[in-house]
Amino acid sequence: MQFHAQVEDFSGASGVGSSFSSRPESSAQKLTHKNTKGFESELVSLFFHVSSCQERAPPFSEPCSPELPIVERRNWLIHQHYIRKDYETCKVIIKNQLQETNGMCEYAIYVQALILRLEGRIQESLELLQSCAILNPSSTDNLKQVARSLFLLGKHKAAIEVYHEAARLCDKDWEISHNLGVCFFFIKDFKNAEEHLNTALQINKHDKTFMMLGKVHLVAGETDKAIEVFKRAVEFSPENTEHLSTLGLLYLQLRKYQKAFEHLGNALTFDPNNYKAILAAGSMMQTHGDFDVAMNKYRVAACAVPESPPLWNNIGMCFFGKKKYVAAISCLKRANYLSPFDWKVLYNLGLVHLTMQQYASAFHFLSAAISLNPRMGELYMLLAVALTNLEDVENSTRAYEQAVNLDESNPLVNLNFAIFLYNHGDKTAALDQYQEMQRKVNILQDSSSNLEFDPELMDMAQKLGAALQVGESLQWTKPGKDSKSKPHSATLAKSPSAPLGTNQALGQAMSSAASYNKNIQLPAGTVASRQSLRN
Amino acid sequence: MTSMESGGDGGKWLDAHYDPVAGLYTFSSCVDLADLSGDGENRLVVGDLGTGSSGMKLKVYRGTALMSENTLLDLPAGLVAFFMDLHEPRIPTTAVASGPCIYLYKNLRPYFKFTLPSLEVNTLEQDVWQQAREGQIDPLTLKEMLESIRKKADVPLSVRSLRFLSLETDGLDEFVQLHKQQPIRRQTVITCIDTLKKSTADEDGVSCLVVGTESSDVFILDSKAFIILSKMSLPAPPTMMDVTGQFDVEFRITVACRNGNIYILRRESDKPKYCVELPSHPVGLVRVGKNVLVGCTDESLQGFTQKGKKLWKIVLPAPITTMAPMDLPTRGFQGVLVGLANCEVHLYRDKNLLSTIKTPDVVTSICFGRYGREDGTLIMTTKGGGLMVKILKRTVVFDDRDSAPGPPLAQSIRLNVPKKTKLYVDQTLRERESGVAMHRAFQMDLSRVRLAAAKAYVKALESSLTPMSASLSEPLKMNAVVQGLGPSFKLTLHVQNTAACRPVMNLAISFLYDENLYRIRDPYMRIPLLVPGLIYPVGTFVDCTNDKGITDIIKVFVLHEGRSSPLLTAHINMPVSEGLALS
Repeated sequence: MQFHAQVEDFSGASGVGSSFSSRPESSAQKLTHKNTKGFESELVSLFFHVSSCQERAPPFSEPCSPELPIVERRNWLIHQHYIRKDYETCKVIIKNQLQETNGMCEYAIYVQALILRLEGRIQESLELLQSCAILNPSSTDNLKQVARSLFLLGKHKAAIEVYHEAARLCDKDWEISHNLGVCFFFIKDFKNAEEHLNTALQINKHDKTFMMLGKVHLVAGETDKAIEVFKRAVEFSPENTEHLSTLGLLYLQLRKYQKAFEHLGNALTFDPNNYKAILAAGSMMQTHGDFDVAMNKYRVAACAVPESPPLWNNIGMCFFGKKKYVAAISCLKRANYLSPFDWKVLYNLGLVHLTMQQYASAFHFLSAAISLNPRMGELYMLLAVALTNLEDVENSTRAYEQAVNLDESNPLVNLNFAIFLYNHGDKTAALDQYQEMQRKVNILQDSSSNLEFDPELMDMAQKLGAALQVGESLQWTKPGKDSKSKPHSATLAKSPSAPLGTNQALGQAMSSAASYNKNIQLPAGTVASRQSLRN
Repeated sequence: MTSMESGGDGGKWLDAHYDPVAGLYTFSSCVDLADLSGDGENRLVVGDLGTGSSGMKLKVYRGTALMSENTLLDLPAGLVAFFMDLHEPRIPTTAVASGPCIYLYKNLRPYFKFTLPSLEVNTLEQDVWQQAREGQIDPLTLKEMLESIRKKADVPLSVRSLRFLSLETDGLDEFVQLHKQQPIRRQTVITCIDTLKKSTADEDGVSCLVVGTESSDVFILDSKAFIILSKMSLPAPPTMMDVTGQFDVEFRITVACRNGNIYILRRESDKPKYCVELPSHPVGLVRVGKNVLVGCTDESLQGFTQKGKKLWKIVLPAPITTMAPMDLPTRGFQGVLVGLANCEVHLYRDKNLLSTIKTPDVVTSICFGRYGREDGTLIMTTKGGGLMVKILKRTVVFDDRDSAPGPPLAQSIRLNVPKKTKLYVDQTLRERESGVAMHRAFQMDLSRVRLAAAKAYVKALESSLTPMSASLSEPLKMNAVVQGLGPSFKLTLHVQNTAACRPVMNLAISFLYDENLYRIRDPYMRIPLLVPGLIYPVGTFVDCTNDKGITDIIKVFVLHEGRSSPLLTAHINMPVSEGLALS
């Protein structure tokens, strides 16, 4: 397969200066080069003139036709500048090229359109791309960019149509399938989105596609499918921290703490500055009381994202766990300043102030939290505790009633109400609440095998049980773990007749952890550091 | 990590030469080092793009000085120095690719010019022009026919037809006359060039040229006879190439293409063997050992096997401007140099950063190799046109840092926890002592405020004191503007009917004011019919008759005929009169 190529040699050594001289046959043509404007330098055309005079005069029969410059001759240069993000130079070259070719250079227009789009002038870019489509109607690249511009303008349906058209010209293109999936996602057609993204993955695996498919499943509420997708993604590119941290967070959401921690840890190994992973891993450490380790991690995040409300919330709760209450309040107040409508921060502020016995302040934070999130029993319970300490029995009772109505699973709410009722002399109602608490405890024990209750909660419940004379009917732990609960009952046995404090209540602290990302809806990871409040 | 190497290169490199005004505009593909005179001393050959449209030059540097300059006819897309024959002394030839041609220079003199074969021309197009030449069709018909060919044809039109289509009607005839005698040609443009050893892997063995073209082809050219040994086609125009192996034995061409993919070509087939789809455009393509390293526009450096399997990816601190291999065979060192837009050049071995060089300007091209008689020389050109030469110290050891670095620096930075004052602590203690009283006082005051607000609101509603009328029949809005310094003020009231469609009629405006202080020209005005939505300005003049600087409130009432209570009321706080009334 040898091609015949056009070969010209030169007589360079004899020439004036250092330019190429052509063979006599072609010199006639070359002479006419000086007619073309600004293409070759003055020196060169002068030299051609000299050399051709030496050899032969141009044959007069041929009319002089200037050789037209090749339309694509600067395409490579445009591309080189474009990928180096040197858009200013790129625009100058494009302008020259379009002038030279009378606007017929498709690639120059194409890149111009891409640059305009980067500058945010999407409409103008779309117009240029349309003129590209006139020059070359069968270019898929062009159609893809038109669709992309339409997509950026929010015209998803139009974009889908153009992508379909592009897909007709070239099937098996990963990019088209992926973008179709994204478009369908935005018009909330999750079924089609899933289908196209899967097609894209079949053609070629890309991190972007995995991420998008996972997102589609999450928005459609199919967490298990999303986990499968991210598992595959992690298999495909094991060092992608985004996949790792997202998978970790999904496991966290499903309360598979071991797996969650594993993936978050991996994400942190590859990128120790990954904010998402730091926050999630930190909140898990907080759950286990590793406040110092969590703080170490948070320091890294605080450098990267110093104005993150969840971060300062978690730091605040770390200080709270370490019993540095003033620092805790400082951090929480900063979090509250950064995100004034986050009820979790307000909840924590209320809790810390309760601990600090600043009941009047606690009341304000808690009522603010309630007005932001009026459907949470624990908030009303804390408000009731604050009101009890502010000696407002009437409102406290109402708050407790609301708390009991709203809450479904937390025995603490009923216990606190029972204690409150008992302290105010309503033994029968207290007994009702106590039984309700027992019911909740039993349900909790049935649902999960290794649940451990806060010792303080058990202690208080047993004291109250004794006071109400219901006896030891309540099993706090499974029989196998009975040994653990014995010390508690032992301490209880010492003072069975001790009266309950005049105004005794239990408050449960809940620090909200890492609701770092609004796109992925995680429930508030409950980090329980329970706290009792005594007067 | 970087603090250890303060000053960037931390004593690993010697600054040999820096000329910030060398005026070089070039890319890594247009820079090479070669022993052009056969005296054992390597020269630097640079294809300078001049201004980008003119002044293109082939420049040769020796030491710190510019040795020679040759004018180039067109923009150089690539430049390689290679051995094209076995003649003694062994002097390499320089090949400069520009436009459709390769210009060969030997002994710094023009030697040979090779033009790529023309592309296939659309037969329909040829027929049409043939007819035009024979005068069978007029230029307008020609234009229409070409237009229809362009829409349908698989083979694109030639430059001539494209230019013809872009012309205005009055220039058509002239253009046809000028061009019709010439045969139609379609030429392509070289986008990248590299060399491939012919049959031996020796340093000074004869090489072939490998050329990538705008027409999405890759040609392998024999350097002796200049015939095309092999032609391979790609799905998109190539932008960068890396070639390894020998033509006669086995070779592998890794090509980055303009569609953002990387294709791997091998000896046996004229179609790509493997394909790597990148998430973004490749900026640099370098082979280190058996792996291919690709720098992408998304600020990442990725490693692939030679079969296109992804190995790793690292994120860089800035966009990549250029990449070049760093090969020190004497020490068995192979790495890659990456120029970044933040004025740094990073040296990587696999994915480990070994060294960072800070440069005074953004580097646009890098070339590492033997220059003069020094083996480890790094040559860089900058965006501003500077030329920089650095020499690697012979004592330098590049220690492979552990790929897992310790905890990030940020971990040791103290948290910025806001401090609390003594006052805050005191207040806390006070709240603990008398929290109940504070709460009660607060609740009491809160109730009072609510009560006061409610009372005021009811009063305003009852007596139409507001500047908004909420009544269903005449929903009105009014605001007032006072202009002037005094003693005369202009008072303009803007009245608007906020009803959806019903006009309001029979309205009037009157004022209530202290007659000792002010005099209003028209104390009673009738308002015309109010069309919904429009704002009607009603103006009058107020004279301040007092020179004591006392001000007062003027009350404006909008009244409905036949009703005693006003529809709405506005209170205007009059400004202090700055002048005296002339009475």
